[in-house]
Amino acid sequence: MISSGHIRVLRGLLLVACLRLVLSSAQATPANRAALERHYDRFLPRALGQCRTCHLPSDRKMPESLDEFPHNPFGDRLRRIGEEAKASGTRLDLGARLAKMADEDSDGDGVANQAELLLGHNPGEPKDTPGPGELETLAVKASGFSRFLTGYRWQPFEPVVRPKVPTGGSGTPGEASPRRVGNPIDAFLSEARAERGLKERPEASREVLLRRVFMDLVGLNPTPEEQRQFLADSEPGSYERLVERLLSDPRHGERWARHWMDVWRYSDWAGWADGNQVRDSKPHIWHWRDWIVEALNSDMPYNRMVTEMLAADEVAPEDPAALRATGYLVRNYKMLSREQWLEDTVKHTFQAFLGVTMGCAKCHDHMVDPISQREYYSARAIFEPHQVRTDRVPGELDTARDGLPRAYDSTNSPTFLLVRGDERHPLTNQVMVPDVPAFLGGKIDVREVKLSDGARRPDHREFVLRDTLAASGKVVEEAVKLLETTQAATNAVAGRVEEARIALDLAYKKRASLEAVIEAERARDSGLPTAGVLATNATLLQRMESVAQARLQEHKARLVLDAAATNKQSEARQKLSEASQQLAKAVDRLAAPLDSAFVPRTAEVYPPTSSGRRSAFARWITARSNPLTARVAVNHVWMRHFGQGLVPSVADFGRNGRPATHPALLDWLAAEFMEPTGSGPGGLPQASWSFRHLHRLILTSRAYRMASTSDDADLERDPDNLGLWRMNSRRLEAEAVRDNLLHVAGSLDGTMGGADVDHLKALTSRRRSLYLRHASEKQAEFLQIFDGPGVTECYQRRPSVIPQQALALGNSSLALEQARLLAARLTAAVGDSPERLVAEAFSRVLGRRPTPAEERECLGFLNPAQPVSNSSSAKARQRAVENLVLVLFNHSDFVTIR
Amino acid sequence: MNPKSSIGCPGVSRRSFLADTGTGFTGMALGALLFRDGIVRAEGAEPAWTPPSGHPHLPPRAKSVIWIFLCGGVSHMESFDVKPELNRFAGKSISDTPYASVLGTEGKDVIGANPAHGNRKVILPLQTGYKPYGECGLVVGDWFRHVGECADELAVVRSLWTIHNDHGAQLTWQTGRHPRELEHPTLGAWVSYGLGTMNENLPEYVVLGVPTGDCCGGAYTHGASYLGPENSGVRLGTDPKNPLPFLRPPEGTLSSEEQASNLGLLGRLNRLAGIDYPDDQNLRARIKSYELAFQMQSSVPETLQLEREPEHIRRMYGLDQDPTRTFGQQCLVARRLVERGVRFIQIFHGGGGGGAWDAHSEIKSNHTQLAAQVDLPIAGLLKDLRQRGLLDDTLVVFGTEFGRSPGAEGTGRDHHPQAFCAWLAGGGVRGGIQYGQTDELGFHAADNRRYVTDIHATVLHQLGLDSRRLEVPGRKRLDMDHGTVIREILG
Repeated sequence: MISSGHIRVLRGLLLVACLRLVLSSAQATPANRAALERHYDRFLPRALGQCRTCHLPSDRKMPESLDEFPHNPFGDRLRRIGEEAKASGTRLDLGARLAKMADEDSDGDGVANQAELLLGHNPGEPKDTPGPGELETLAVKASGFSRFLTGYRWQPFEPVVRPKVPTGGSGTPGEASPRRVGNPIDAFLSEARAERGLKERPEASREVLLRRVFMDLVGLNPTPEEQRQFLADSEPGSYERLVERLLSDPRHGERWARHWMDVWRYSDWAGWADGNQVRDSKPHIWHWRDWIVEALNSDMPYNRMVTEMLAADEVAPEDPAALRATGYLVRNYKMLSREQWLEDTVKHTFQAFLGVTMGCAKCHDHMVDPISQREYYSARAIFEPHQVRTDRVPGELDTARDGLPRAYDSTNSPTFLLVRGDERHPLTNQVMVPDVPAFLGGKIDVREVKLSDGARRPDHREFVLRDTLAASGKVVEEAVKLLETTQAATNAVAGRVEEARIALDLAYKKRASLEAVIEAERARDSGLPTAGVLATNATLLQRMESVAQARLQEHKARLVLDAAATNKQSEARQKLSEASQQLAKAVDRLAAPLDSAFVPRTAEVYPPTSSGRRSAFARWITARSNPLTARVAVNHVWMRHFGQGLVPSVADFGRNGRPATHPALLDWLAAEFMEPTGSGPGGLPQASWSFRHLHRLILTSRAYRMASTSDDADLERDPDNLGLWRMNSRRLEAEAVRDNLLHVAGSLDGTMGGADVDHLKALTSRRRSLYLRHASEKQAEFLQIFDGPGVTECYQRRPSVIPQQALALGNSSLALEQARLLAARLTAAVGDSPERLVAEAFSRVLGRRPTPAEERECLGFLNPAQPVSNSSSAKARQRAVENLVLVLFNHSDFVTIR
Repeated sequence: MNPKSSIGCPGVSRRSFLADTGTGFTGMALGALLFRDGIVRAEGAEPAWTPPSGHPHLPPRAKSVIWIFLCGGVSHMESFDVKPELNRFAGKSISDTPYASVLGTEGKDVIGANPAHGNRKVILPLQTGYKPYGECGLVVGDWFRHVGECADELAVVRSLWTIHNDHGAQLTWQTGRHPRELEHPTLGAWVSYGLGTMNENLPEYVVLGVPTGDCCGGAYTHGASYLGPENSGVRLGTDPKNPLPFLRPPEGTLSSEEQASNLGLLGRLNRLAGIDYPDDQNLRARIKSYELAFQMQSSVPETLQLEREPEHIRRMYGLDQDPTRTFGQQCLVARRLVERGVRFIQIFHGGGGGGAWDAHSEIKSNHTQLAAQVDLPIAGLLKDLRQRGLLDDTLVVFGTEFGRSPGAEGTGRDHHPQAFCAWLAGGGVRGGIQYGQTDELGFHAADNRRYVTDIHATVLHQLGLDSRRLEVPGRKRLDMDHGTVIREILG
């Protein structure tokens, strides 16, 4: 909160700002306009956010005090009320003062202050007064404003205060259900519906509900068996048990990982493999994807998820599992531009976690939200030191084949404000200090983090040593094998056998020296008393390795000479002589007095500390007092269950976004997310920041279970369903369309995790779609046709209905192949009964039973009248089944969540 | 997201769903036409409101629209509203010129709260030459010399302003609304909704090129919002080698008889599903899209057969040169779509992100390079339409989201929503007209100020539509949404 001291300073600043602005062009005066706007909000006419609302017009050049730029009667009264209150020991904020003088008539023109303000006339200027026509519209405006004053305020930049759950108005008359009490979501929604005269739709049918829950939680159809079980389960709590079961289904993590991959901008690497052109993101970034899946499946608290993504290298530097999370940062890597890289990082971090369009303040102060350009660069300073690298992973020494792309702090580059956001024009006289925008409150407390050895020298970790030794042992094994085969060969040549023998000797020596070097390094690093001896030993073994190496070279040179043609002999002789000299040198060195100057292994060494900026930032984002973190996350989850966010502009909670349709509900959910009440499953205390808790709350609400069918009266009243009087029908996301094609045909490969699957195999691979490569210029066409995620940003899918989708589901080899497979399964399962076949096909593909009319159509299509007498008509019959399945794949219900 | 899955339409019933969507594949065309003629209606309850009949409200002057949109903000002073005074006062602060008053705000609705975006004061001289063209003597910047040759076809509107100071104004150009208000029907969607199709083989609203990026409207810039996805723009590639993905089933898998019979069953099943969800716009759109897709399997490749065009025509559109090839293909495809009865063709140039024309720095090289991609093809399109007699009932519109600042932003120009220009040609619009005026610096739209939706109103008017008669119950539209027809430029 702002202290009174701040207020004084602020007021001083305001005055200066205002004076200056009168003299230049009368642009908005951000702070005092903001104060007026806070009180009057959308009821404040544009013309009244100006200096003249409170001050007399002045043409003085550069007035220096209030005396030179006096208040008009309205401004004067506003000031005096404040001073009177202060004198009596209270403090009235601007809103309270405005309320207090609402019915007064400061300028004495016969119209009260508030009435003038609402009608767009200056309350401090007697000549500016509303006409009779305008006064007629006052009642409507005044009542709207009074409703606004008494209603729940949407204040996304203020910390979340848990609103009271409404008590009245819950439930629809005439409907009794034991489940209707209890869920606060419904209490909030019912109250809001009642205000708008909307009714709540009844619960959807069990069939519709089952598929909806399956789709929303695991992204796949319920199987016919699961349908039968659920429809037959009339025990109380069957629905809740279903929700619980699916929340702990590992496929739930896969389903929701894809949602969060949208928000967090998952991208595989882009560029070209040949020429080492990794342009965006990094190879093996899929480790981060797997982390997301696992984090969701273990219900990792959201605050922990955010912290690990932003700063696992600072909060868990030795934990490779957690380090995967920093793929969030690695993803922004841009080979061609560090500027773009940091810009994307800052912009999307604020948008994804906070719904703040920070990116707008790169070149100038934000135009509508209170973010200065300086604050943008302070935020950038948080990320300035970070870089990306690829650490080794157990079992693979070659980081080109696998590795862990991760973030770490490497540079001390200062951050400068860039004039107009132009990197060619930094203001180098001032280094920007890492900080967060003031309007969101709080501070960041940056403490440098000391890194352990494993983080600083990842190649000194035990598993790398083990893998290195194992690799060296493997070389020995191969050398043994080579020697054996060379000896055993019927046409064995003595020279070649000798070469293999020397090579084996070298392999042994290499392994020995490697072991010795590792031992010596370990002793040195731990400051063991044996360090000196071991170093000497390593030096000796390295010298022996050098001799073996030189001996091999010499032997090879000799073989070359033996085989050389006449005209090449002198050259070969020269080579041999050089090799012999090298060997002699190595032998001499071996004989020389011993020292401890062994050559250490080549291994990257990184800085011993990390700036601590990102972990400090993560603490600020995940603080209970941060106004936006929970609101934004909850809204994302809500949108993916209801098809629309409680704040429709999910990535912009600022003034350019849209206000919440149910601000109290969103605030309550955000509070409950951070500080859950009651107990979780099994009576244990409910963990905070738990997505599972949030899903459970939402899915067990009556609102979620409503039918999506229409109601004429409510449709007319609220065609956009902003009042949530029914469930929204939703189009499946691209991934769910493809996954379900495979799933219903029984083809889905449920393997979880691992390297990205070539996007060009989208039609043949049977893995879930979230595993398909997704990067700039590497996107599965099938998915893009169904409005798959954009690579640069995708806070919200925007489903379309276009003919290309019809072609993809009707003509693609994927659809045709799966139709054929499912048709074969159906025929095998139900035999000759067309009725059973149609029922089973509907159940599998659409998750429901056919209506009698649908059954008639399908039976007619299968044409059972045709006798099944010979193989060609059996084939034709099977073909008809395949076509029936294909038609159902293309049925609107297949791609729709009802 | 799909919050807007319904028209607030009390007349929609189970019965009418079937009527509205026809009676199956073969019945589709008939059903749709009957529906448009208002013959088949729900029995019983007399609906107070009916969707558009597909008949124009007024005698139409145009049948089709080619709506060219240049993303990022084209400089008005260096294209079709040339301001020589910028050269005279180059390097001076606007305050030190006789036109200092443009900086005042008295009586002017200055947009944008950030001085950095609105108050570039040091004048940047014109970065290109200019000269008059045609009998009308329209002065055009050299970047658009080919379009300049068509000056006598153009009605330039020089007094446009818009309501947003950033590239979200791209969405404003298409919908008339501030980007804060997210999706609203675009002009193309209104046309599609109001008039329906002239053909059953192609979408009535086609989108070519790369649309506006997600930052600034994304798919909303060719969306239909509450008019339903069946009225939104369908994106088409223009590469003849890859006309449509999954255009045909793999060889030997599905005969066209099977396809047709499958489509028949599908249509009947989807219509049955519609009985429970009569207000589901996605379902309606999907039924239509399947029938359309079936036709498009042959109509789209045929439309994209640009190699069938004679060489001199291909050259007119710049298909023989690298810089102009892509946009030229789009313009040529646009003409072929017009010939095949497509109502509304929206061509984006420089789409993605904030838009390619956004020349905050180095405007000279930026605009030189980008104009070189579009200038010749647009001129080719106008000339080709004219020589075929198509320009009489095809309205071509050239627009962008806002102008650029007269004052310098380094070597570039900033966003400038206070003034910009657009032009219209053909479709009953008078050629050789310059309508409206900015001040001498091009800072403010001064005379006959016109908002974006006035262009929309003019286009609709030429197509014979009155947007007030297209209103959907429960969907309040503002006066500003409807705009006012710019009658002064009509023939």
